Amino acid sequence: MLAVTLFGFAGFACLCLAMEKHYKDLLETAPSAARLRILRIAGWLLQLLALSLAVHNSGWAMGLVELFAVLMAGVTLWVFLLPYQPRLLLGLLGLSLVLGPVLLMLPG
Amino acid sequence: MKSKAAGLPLSYRLAVTSRCLAAVFGGYLLAAMASVCITLLAPMPKAEAVVSGMMLSFLFYLVAFLWCFASRSAWQAWLGVLLPSLVLGVINGLAYWMKN
Amino acid sequence: MKEGFRQAMAWLHTWTGLIFGWLLFAIFLTGTMSYFKEEINHWAQPEVPVRAHDPLASLTLAQNYLQEHAPNAGSWFIRLPEAREPGLSVGWRVEGAGRRGFIEKNLDPATGAEVQARETRGGDFFYRFHFQLEMPHPWGRWLSTFAAFIMLLGLVTGIITHKKIFKEFFTFRPGKGQRSWLDGHNAIGVLVLPFHLMISYSSLVIFMSLVMPASIIASYGDNTRAYFNDLFGASEEVKVAGVAAPLLPLPALYQAFQEQAPGSRHGWIEVQNPGDQNARVRFSRHGGDGIAYQRGGGWVFDGVNGTLQNDSKTEAVPVVIAGGMYGLHMGMFAGPWLRWLYFFFGVAGTAVIGTGLVLWLGKRQLKHAKSGTQPFELRLVEVLNIASMSGLLLGVAAFFWANRLLPVGLEGRAGWEVNSFFLLWTLSLMHAMLRPGRRAWAEQLGLAALLWAGLPLLNQLSTGQGLIHSIPAGDWAMAGFDLTALGCGLFFAWGARKMWRPPVLVAKRAPKAAKAASANLIESEVS
Repeated sequence: MLAVTLFGFAGFACLCLAMEKHYKDLLETAPSAARLRILRIAGWLLQLLALSLAVHNSGWAMGLVELFAVLMAGVTLWVFLLPYQPRLLLGLLGLSLVLGPVLLMLPG
Repeated sequence: MKSKAAGLPLSYRLAVTSRCLAAVFGGYLLAAMASVCITLLAPMPKAEAVVSGMMLSFLFYLVAFLWCFASRSAWQAWLGVLLPSLVLGVINGLAYWMKN
Repeated sequence: MKEGFRQAMAWLHTWTGLIFGWLLFAIFLTGTMSYFKEEINHWAQPEVPVRAHDPLASLTLAQNYLQEHAPNAGSWFIRLPEAREPGLSVGWRVEGAGRRGFIEKNLDPATGAEVQARETRGGDFFYRFHFQLEMPHPWGRWLSTFAAFIMLLGLVTGIITHKKIFKEFFTFRPGKGQRSWLDGHNAIGVLVLPFHLMISYSSLVIFMSLVMPASIIASYGDNTRAYFNDLFGASEEVKVAGVAAPLLPLPALYQAFQEQAPGSRHGWIEVQNPGDQNARVRFSRHGGDGIAYQRGGGWVFDGVNGTLQNDSKTEAVPVVIAGGMYGLHMGMFAGPWLRWLYFFFGVAGTAVIGTGLVLWLGKRQLKHAKSGTQPFELRLVEVLNIASMSGLLLGVAAFFWANRLLPVGLEGRAGWEVNSFFLLWTLSLMHAMLRPGRRAWAEQLGLAALLWAGLPLLNQLSTGQGLIHSIPAGDWAMAGFDLTALGCGLFFAWGARKMWRPPVLVAKRAPKAAKAASANLIESEVS
């Protein structure tokens, strides 16, 4: 479940960064259209990964319930913390992208 | 509302009241008719059809409510809920008569 | 309503939100608390001991107790201790007394002795309040269900009205007065939207037989029993044979149940006709065994020879969907972290409503800020806002303070706890009427902070089961309650402090800011 949470969180973070306004606010540089597109694709791919993982772990019913729950929690945390601790959130994004795959590769 | 509240014309207040009544009661009628229609026409065992009808009825209530306040006049609000209710009522009557 | 669809929906959103917001805030707050009603029950009855789980031993103790105290009852009920409910409770129907004649006792799961726990409604009070509103049947349910519909309406009209729902999906701009409140209201609405929609629609489905009976009448006439039988299976009420026969030891049947349904959890255990030839033992389905709540079924065994009479059958798709809605709403299947998320989302729903009420008033108060006086309608809304929000928080605190302070042996103390809830809530309404708005908020939130944060100390002083006891003992339900109360108290203290300081009036003279502000602020003026 933790892996699902991390991928979902990272997904939403990427989708946020894929918006020019937020990219500029957070990363303080002007993004190219290509970069925004990559972020958007990455964001959706991460969400898809989270979904497949959730369903694989807990079946469709419970998996979807858990997925929605962690996604809502993660994106709420992101949005309300963003004005106060943007760097912390970016750090969490990085951590998710590293820890998520690690958790996947662990046995069990 | 604001200090202009006292200046709202009576016709406006009546229209809003009318829309509210249309939404709450007319909408309920429409939802109930839709519920019965689904129940009587759904190709499934009785109890399941009842459950399906009831569960879906609230969507009709919602749409009816939105209509009553989106329509251009209070009269149209009533028309928009009563006319479909009548049509569904006729269908229901026929379906009920055919079942029994 | 000639201004267009979006404007009309904005108007509808604003007005239904206001009129039903006060009630919906209470429903959502008490509903959110209900996700931890078992834990609240435990806190409210500290006399019930927490023991290591031993279902077979507890079952034997329960059976012995019931055999001794209710040998002639028509049916026995046993609720075994589980993770969230430490008590062992037994109950029985007194012969010939009908529905009212039900006796329930708490037993010590380790010794079988009766536990004299203080009479209280505990967490169940808030649970029932959130859908019955302490009103006579069926008016409370009708009102709360209609309120749930208005919540659904509010969500849909909110979505329609929120033009920049995708553009501002991640937007929250604090420190900008009304803009921030609107951002917050939108954010907590949109980001948690799946939950809000689910909780609202499922509320309607839960009481659909009550509020939308047309289909039942059309299909079954007035034979509602036939409808419920078709749906959940006829309740197997086997008649008494009149021949005495010893009841099998329940642990044996428990093991048989476990063999029949490995991995399944059971709910309560019912023994029909104990001591009779036609005894039946039913292990009901546990509400949290899956997402979809299935009311019928369970596993029934012959009480004398132990054979399985029937077992749970699967239900049809529409029934599973309805059960699924019920299950999602109740969240009984949720483990610890998912339950906390349910709680968090419930708080979010409460906050959507609360921020909405504050926005409604704030926007209109801005217009009157210069003149210094407030028209009656706005003052009314201000008073109702304060009473329905901070006032409610005070009422809840009063319930728990009463639970600890009222003498354990007081006759009707459960009712007095409830009275305390309503009493302090009413007093807060009167206080709000007498004090200026911001002051009232500050004073009530300040008092709420004291009362809530003081609960752990009160608990320790009155029962000795405060944090210094419960944490080392691993009684996380007790400790969790105290810690949550403390956390809430601190939050209210922060709120009180903010309200204590006079408001900082941000001079919004810049035309661009004003334009952006008005473009998204809901315009409710129609005339």
